[in-house]
Amino acid sequence: MKKIININFHGRVVPIEETAYEILKQYIDSLSRYFAKEEGREEIINDIENRFAELFSERLKKDATCITDADVNAIIASMGRPEDFDQEDMAPNGNTQGTESSKQSSNQQAKQESFTAEEPRRLFRSENDKILGGVCGGLANYLRIDPAIVRIIFTLITFGGFGSGLLIYIILWIVLPSRSLAFNIRKRLYRNPDNRVIAGVASGLAAYFHIDVWIPRLIFSFPLILGVFTSIFRNTWFDFDPGPVFITGGFGGTLFITYIILWIVLPEAVTASEKLEMRGEKVDLESIKNTVKSDLEGFKSRATDFGNEVKERAQQFGTEFKQSTQQFASEAAPAVRRTGSGIGHAIGVLFKAFFLFLAGVMAFALIMVLIGLLFSGMGVFPFKNYLLTGFWQNTLAWISLVLFLGIPGIALLTWLIRRIMGVRSRNHYLGYIFGSLWVIGLVSFFVLVGLLVNNFRTRASVEDEVSMVQPASGKLVVKMTDEKVSYYGSDWFGFNWDNDAPFYSLREDSVMMTTVRVNLVRSPDSAYHLTLVKFSHGNNPQVAKDLASRIQFSPKEVDSTLYLPQGFAITPNTKFRNQQVLVVVAVPLGKRIMVDRSIDDYHWFSINVNRRHRGWNIDWNTDWDDAFSWDSNVEYVMTKDGLKKMSDLREQSDEDENKGNNKPKSEKGYRYKQKSDSTLQKQKKDNQKENSSTSAWFQRDASDDMRTNTSVSTGKSDVDKEDRPEAVNFLSFVSFLKKF
Amino acid sequence: MNIENTQSQMRKGILEFCILSIIRRGEAYPSDIVEEMKSANLHILEGTLYPLLTRLKNADMLTYRWVESNSGPPRKYFSLTQKGQSFFRELEATWNELANAVHTLANKTDSIPDSTNQNPSF
Repeated sequence: MKKIININFHGRVVPIEETAYEILKQYIDSLSRYFAKEEGREEIINDIENRFAELFSERLKKDATCITDADVNAIIASMGRPEDFDQEDMAPNGNTQGTESSKQSSNQQAKQESFTAEEPRRLFRSENDKILGGVCGGLANYLRIDPAIVRIIFTLITFGGFGSGLLIYIILWIVLPSRSLAFNIRKRLYRNPDNRVIAGVASGLAAYFHIDVWIPRLIFSFPLILGVFTSIFRNTWFDFDPGPVFITGGFGGTLFITYIILWIVLPEAVTASEKLEMRGEKVDLESIKNTVKSDLEGFKSRATDFGNEVKERAQQFGTEFKQSTQQFASEAAPAVRRTGSGIGHAIGVLFKAFFLFLAGVMAFALIMVLIGLLFSGMGVFPFKNYLLTGFWQNTLAWISLVLFLGIPGIALLTWLIRRIMGVRSRNHYLGYIFGSLWVIGLVSFFVLVGLLVNNFRTRASVEDEVSMVQPASGKLVVKMTDEKVSYYGSDWFGFNWDNDAPFYSLREDSVMMTTVRVNLVRSPDSAYHLTLVKFSHGNNPQVAKDLASRIQFSPKEVDSTLYLPQGFAITPNTKFRNQQVLVVVAVPLGKRIMVDRSIDDYHWFSINVNRRHRGWNIDWNTDWDDAFSWDSNVEYVMTKDGLKKMSDLREQSDEDENKGNNKPKSEKGYRYKQKSDSTLQKQKKDNQKENSSTSAWFQRDASDDMRTNTSVSTGKSDVDKEDRPEAVNFLSFVSFLKKF
Repeated sequence: MNIENTQSQMRKGILEFCILSIIRRGEAYPSDIVEEMKSANLHILEGTLYPLLTRLKNADMLTYRWVESNSGPPRKYFSLTQKGQSFFRELEATWNELANAVHTLANKTDSIPDSTNQNPSF
């Protein structure tokens, strides 16, 4: 049972068996290879095809329903195969046995000639099979292997050998002459559809390399097996699920991706000739028969010929040696002349290589950007629970991550492998699919951004006046608590954020926000006041206000130190809407304040999404600009003109002291203490300046102007001065208890 | 030295001459040429004929015209050009010379006169 196809052959419809068609096609191909260097190649082949068409139609007129294998083979036999053309130009019609024997021996001779009398094989760059300079194509031609293999090896050497492959390539490019080379292999990588587990990649490879199928299969499945074993191992030893580590991780991942890409890239060996090509066999049966026959019979005659040959060779060598020395002398002169132009050629090649290198660097940078985007996408991904609300936003996030960022990566890899393998896609549907998927990803990404922006449209604040115990010494220190919050390290997807991110210690159930800022203002009365202003965004004012009021941020006061929490937690329920806490400390006239360096660990940024600045506009907030600017770890005093550094005042007061002015006792005592470590303080301050120059980003505070703070409506605190000592005692007692 | 090689070299040399002498007689179709040669006990593969004809045509020795055929696509019939005819005549002359020479040499049976006998030592 054979399939019959109709072909349009020289203007005529010819019904032909599919296998016969393959034989015919193969024959025509072999002719066009044979006549590759012939000037009138097209015409010769055309004439021969014409003759075929004529003989076909004669055959079809004689009641034949279609052209069979036998028909084609008969015509080919009368036409002769390319390998017969050289020897069998004309055979005298002597006795038939004579022709038979001469045919055989000529076959054998042909085989011998392919080893001995053929023009000495030389290494060229291929002019017709090239990606860069045709070096790999030429090498493959010289070695008679698939150029794809040489290219893969070169790529491996380049990546594995620190670019040495590239160097070798450039040298070969300069050194080797270029020439159009006839295609001399009949072997290509295919996927084998007859023997497959998944897609036939492994069995195609096996057929190509003539190895057993299980070898590539084992290699491909090795990471899978390994992964299963390690996961068992890990599960028994650590209570830890590695998940799809065997797919994504290192070596295994490479193989996995390799398989997928080969799957996409390699064509399936569908037709008979493709299957033969896959195994690298010469397609015509005749040649197989010939090689077998000549192998068997040639052996005997070769054995007898051997003695003669050795003798001939010895003589030949003598004459050849003489000839070659002469030849060398005659060739040397033009070679010297050629060197001049050779250098020009080399410079040209180097320029080409340079530009290719530049292009490569740019392509590499693009890939890196892409990978970076992908990773940051993955990095932000666990944050999605805090950002996204509802099913649709989650779905959109997934779609945009996979399609918008993933598709270009896969497409790029596919393109690279295709380029390396020299495979041209037969259809463009893969490109269309990639393109349309990416557009879907792009659209969903924009829709998602739009939805998210909507969530940040309005901003609202809630103010809490926190009652304060007035510090006894007339000085308030603002610090961050050092108590360990039960959050695990800041190792966030392999990046060590080192508390530099505005949100850190991300976990499944909550995120630690450190968007806290301390502002110092002048108190309207003689007492310290503490006001917490909580901000949040939301898609309407009610939601924003509600979210703001749900921020848990409670400072503690111990002795004369105000301890602020390390941050506040938001949960997937409260969502991330850029919640912020502004700690406003009102300092009364003549009282001192110091903000500890630990406060620098807070971060502040604001997301500004309004009609004026459309988009996702993150800028460092400048509102509340009527507060005084401060440096951490510097002691200030509130004066009529605003905050003044104690160190500046002290110099002044030192002069005053010399004049005999007295200061209040308590302050004096304090100042004395301050003096003792003032040198230390100065050193610290120097360090501090370096630090603050970097942290200045986060605290670009308002100008030093003297306006009083009106925007904070500070309700008067009801704390009586009489209650203060007790309260302090009580608090210190509590902290004392806590320590145990 | 290989006998096959020498034989094929000899055949190659006269192939063009044989083809031209067939076409000289009138317009010829390639498969007819093959038949003609076969009848003269010279076997040739059709596949080797086409490139030869094309080469001769490109060298202006031959020309062709298309003739409609009822058994398939139109056929190419080859004929000699003016140049081809003079080329053929030159070949013919050379061939006759060669044939004579070869014939004389191959058919001579008497031994080569010994040079030592001819030139007796003084």
